[in-house]
Amino acid sequence: MKTKRKKKRKTLPKEAAMKGPNALQPLEIPIHSPASTAKFSGVLAELGKFEPKLPKGILIPALTGDPGAEIPDAEPEPVYDLRARSNIQGNTIPGFNKDHQHFVFFRLGNIRRAKAWLRWIAPLISSMEEVLAWVRAFRAMRLRLGAEPPTCAAWVNIAFSRRAIELLVDKAAAAAFGDQSFRQGLAARSTYLGDPSKATHPGHRRKWVVGGPRNEADVLVIVAADDPEDLVTLVHTIKLRAAASNLRLLFEQRCDTLPGPLHGHEHFGFKDGVSQPGVRGKISAARGDFITPRYIDHTDARARIFAKPGQLLLWPGQFLLGEPRQHPEHPYNSAPAAAPSPPAPAPRNYPAWAALGSYLVCRRLRQDVPAFWKFAIGAASALGIPAQKFASMLVGRWPSGAPIMRTPGADNAALAGDEWANNHFIFNDATRPSVLRPIAGYAGDAFPQAAQDMLANVCPHFAHIRKTNPRDIATDLGKPHDSMLRMILRRGIPFGMPLVGVKKPSKKLLSQERGLMFICYGSTIEEQFEFLTRRWANSPIQPNFGGHDPIIGQRDRRGARTRFIAFPTAAGTRLIRLKSEWVIPTGGGYFFSPPIEAIAGVLGA
Amino acid sequence: MALVARFDTPASLRDLPAGSAFYDNWHNYIAGNLDASTPGTGGGEFFDASQTDVNVAGEHALVWMAFPRRVLMPRRDDRTAAFIEAERTPGGDIGNRFVQDEYCEWRVARNSAGRITKITFTTESPEYWEQLWAVDRGRVVELYQSLVDPTVVEADLHLGGVYQRRNRWNNADGIAHLMQSINTLTAALGEAQGSATTPSTQITGVPPPPPPLPPASDNYEMPSVANTSVDPRLTYDVAALVRKPLSVTLREPIGLYITGYDDTGWTKPGGSPVDNYWTIVRGHPGQILRLEYQVPPGTGFVVGDIQIGGRRIEWGGQIAEHITVTIAGIAGMRA
Repeated sequence: MKTKRKKKRKTLPKEAAMKGPNALQPLEIPIHSPASTAKFSGVLAELGKFEPKLPKGILIPALTGDPGAEIPDAEPEPVYDLRARSNIQGNTIPGFNKDHQHFVFFRLGNIRRAKAWLRWIAPLISSMEEVLAWVRAFRAMRLRLGAEPPTCAAWVNIAFSRRAIELLVDKAAAAAFGDQSFRQGLAARSTYLGDPSKATHPGHRRKWVVGGPRNEADVLVIVAADDPEDLVTLVHTIKLRAAASNLRLLFEQRCDTLPGPLHGHEHFGFKDGVSQPGVRGKISAARGDFITPRYIDHTDARARIFAKPGQLLLWPGQFLLGEPRQHPEHPYNSAPAAAPSPPAPAPRNYPAWAALGSYLVCRRLRQDVPAFWKFAIGAASALGIPAQKFASMLVGRWPSGAPIMRTPGADNAALAGDEWANNHFIFNDATRPSVLRPIAGYAGDAFPQAAQDMLANVCPHFAHIRKTNPRDIATDLGKPHDSMLRMILRRGIPFGMPLVGVKKPSKKLLSQERGLMFICYGSTIEEQFEFLTRRWANSPIQPNFGGHDPIIGQRDRRGARTRFIAFPTAAGTRLIRLKSEWVIPTGGGYFFSPPIEAIAGVLGA
Repeated sequence: MALVARFDTPASLRDLPAGSAFYDNWHNYIAGNLDASTPGTGGGEFFDASQTDVNVAGEHALVWMAFPRRVLMPRRDDRTAAFIEAERTPGGDIGNRFVQDEYCEWRVARNSAGRITKITFTTESPEYWEQLWAVDRGRVVELYQSLVDPTVVEADLHLGGVYQRRNRWNNADGIAHLMQSINTLTAALGEAQGSATTPSTQITGVPPPPPPLPPASDNYEMPSVANTSVDPRLTYDVAALVRKPLSVTLREPIGLYITGYDDTGWTKPGGSPVDNYWTIVRGHPGQILRLEYQVPPGTGFVVGDIQIGGRRIEWGGQIAEHITVTIAGIAGMRA
């Protein structure tokens, strides 16, 4: 005799159980319905069209800054002379941003031979000096041409784990690094970051291709090039010399920007890396010779806070050890590096040789593109809105990179391509136009300005760009000035063949692995990368109630991987459970990217 | 929205039978701390929902971290020093509640080996207990006996009949409710109401924001009001809503609540995820007033054996930084 199975009662997650007039109504999404599968290919093909439209005919200086961009009474910013610029690794500042990159993870063997290899590779390491010179010229050409210039360069950077520093220097040197998370390593912090705790889960650290408990890398070498052949040659040479020096190759990952119109997009189809903080500091004492060009006229008070509209200026100590850093209570004044720590004697925050170095976080993230888009199509269908609109609200930007705050109704390729407009918006209040310094050939930002969205009906609280960069809003740590302490320099690049833009993907293509090699730099892992990940992306209530970051958010509360978003609609807020996972951690590590002089002078000595 | 007929107690607590004068007294206490309307900068207002009718447009929950940011930020290069500071007292390790100024205080219990066995968090305001005392002293004693220690007697709690917020059972020997001098509901109500106008106060030693001042057009133009989490959270959010311009007030039942306690990545001594060791003692999910963290007896380990992201729990602050406190607001237009 058949017995009726008792239907499991569906309850809201406790964290979503806010009561009151706007109590959440759950929305059930048929994720794998035939309709969503049928639409999937069409949506993928459509996504290949969203290329930002670059302006052209704009003339900016490549060699020096704009003397008129100085603010008369502003706090002086540090000047990085030739020696300092030659000492800072170039992927930290200003960033390689190359179309082809290769990440090589090594385990140290014989230490004496490893030191010899370090002395060999040290002269190859690309510095801020050479990368910044190239980037400035490249950017000037790009704005003049309105297209990617046909230029070539190949660069190398290197970083070390805590264990590597112990082996190459000594235990005391490794222990002198103040960041406890760095000393512990990524694998030890994995579940704290919301990664799966169940060993059977594909994202569990024991299954990682690199960086798990038994395959943690000591050395990470990043090779970047415009020409794939240059990249292959350089990587081959480095690996050969490493093998001869008894370094064991643990893992390597080739990464490439997506082709054609999807250049600069990640695998879900969205333009990535639009918003980056601007690093304060100067290249010379000459007026206006800033590392990050300044475009806001000093008659506009925001010139003290922003380099260009929407690009916050941060003191270099947020990314480089030993440099003046952001004041925790003020938006544009600095605070000394490594503040004393009463009542105990001030701890050493880093060994002296590590000054001008940065912590590097590497996360190899697999992206399940079909899972993401099938969910988006199903949810959009249930809500009665286009799938691209729904997915763009998850991100906070349209596929082209245009912010939904400035164009809520539809994507806008021209807005996406305008670097003085595509990041110019705040959330709590209406955005006012900025007063810009003269930019030859630039017609100005004529796009409609963003309206206030404090209650997050346009760009929801859960949207990836609102979660990880709350801009002007107050947060669980108070003032927006605190949020500036959390910002990181992102240097990620995709790996694997794209699905977006493909009309009829083959089964083979669908089954291939693809994702993002997430790389970021900062002067603390715990207060920057880990804070952003755990406190905001992974929390349904921080910095505001509204759900988890549906793009990078991970959740593993007591082993449960329940995530949800509170989606705003005209009829009220709908609670949507995120039943499947589309970003799965598959490797990485916590590293320290030392000043170049220390590679041969300390680590290789 | 109809006018609020009677302000309810925090989390709708029913410590006394329905019909008690206590409930009217509580309403009068809340109403007495609010003006019918406090006109704000930019055209909005902060209003008393028992006197002013507003069509609600939306809710906004103001969330902040329970661990005192004022203690953390000067020690950002040595977080252990911050945890110690928040717990160290001249007389022992009962918890330095005088620096726990984010409307959430905690008390740590340790075993003979010095390992933490239990942590109790509270967001209950002293005013609630004073109002309760004024109506029924016996009930207050019962609550202390139940929550803090069975040996509590009435004489321990007052001086000349006046209830003492910092009596020994809510200071050296226990925790019943908030006792830090500015952790009061009166202060929270005053700050929320006062935030309708752009504040002009500035932290000593911190330069003012860029001109023009005031009024602020956005949060970057706001003065740097305090180095806590809660004060700017409240001030900036209320001021931003008021300059929309919207009419703003606190959502019923008005109270300071624990809404989040995130134990993701916390592991037992064997490395597996912790079970649910939280107990809501007063309030309910979404409106928690008293929360305890304790491993059940017989489990074979104590709180001090649990690791958070690979670090053993040695200080209450390691848990407090994963606790979030909330005060909920509503905003709308005049009916």
